[in-house]
Amino acid sequence: MRADRAARATYRFPSGVRRPASGVRRPASAGGGRREAGGREAGGEGGKAERELGVRPYVLVLIAVLVATTLVGLLWRSQQGRVRPATGDVDLLAELGEQPGERATLLQFSSAFCAPCRATRRVLGDIAAVTPGVRHVEVDAEQHLGLVRRLNVLKTPTTLVLDANQSITDRAAGLPRKEHVLAALDRAVR
Amino acid sequence: MIDPRAPRFAAWITTAVLAVVLLTHSAALLTLQAAVFALGAYGRNPYALLWKRLPHSPPTDLEAAEPVRFAQGVGLAFAVLGVVGLLTWTPLGLLATAAALAAAFLNAAFGFCLGCVIYLLFRRTVGAHA
Repeated sequence: MRADRAARATYRFPSGVRRPASGVRRPASAGGGRREAGGREAGGEGGKAERELGVRPYVLVLIAVLVATTLVGLLWRSQQGRVRPATGDVDLLAELGEQPGERATLLQFSSAFCAPCRATRRVLGDIAAVTPGVRHVEVDAEQHLGLVRRLNVLKTPTTLVLDANQSITDRAAGLPRKEHVLAALDRAVR
Repeated sequence: MIDPRAPRFAAWITTAVLAVVLLTHSAALLTLQAAVFALGAYGRNPYALLWKRLPHSPPTDLEAAEPVRFAQGVGLAFAVLGVVGLLTWTPLGLLATAAALAAAFLNAAFGFCLGCVIYLLFRRTVGAHA
């Protein structure tokens, strides 16, 4: 047996004849061949990433995307509903054909397809219902585009707090917090 | 009009799926997500349908379906771009996936629907001239 194997191992084929793919060669190059085959198989799977760089850089990319998006989201959220002091003496409500409140008016610009507008309507409506002399007026921004442009209303909902003279004393873009609206009303009524 | 909690739940699942795509570069998985987006564009997002089957309190607020469905269409566009990228030039695939992931995460975690905003801007521009 051993002699035969040895004989096969050293037998030289005449040139031009292809060696059989198995038997003679395998023992000599066993380790290397298997490693290569294994590497190729692993690389083909879905592991282009593994073969070139490893998964870790993509974990970093994922984390970077999530962190950046979180920062954007927090920034956006901080801009929502912030009540800012503002001035202006346009005779708004008369233009809109609406009655002002005796002491103050909460003027809300809304639009269709606007979920925060409905929530804002609830907040402002509740406040107006329990605060004497304060009226909640809601208008469709798309029906009053000229006014929207003059007042620099960029999004809906936008709430303008008007005093008894219909001057704008505060404004808020996005869903306002109840306490902020009440504080703004305090300023308007003073 | 739809319960806004359903698309937000769907956005969380979408975020998870796209994160896996980003890590594994799996064009197959992204194709499945593209199919989900396509169904969502017709108001049949499987993730949202799953949420509806789970027990939940009655809705306190409703939102319009059209902007949400448009947003799913935007997601579909990015997913298709991502699949093409993953099959041809990986950086494009990853970029498209990352963009879709950012939008989905923004929606899930902050309730901000980027596609909805695009739809409204589009409607305002087109509507003004209509």
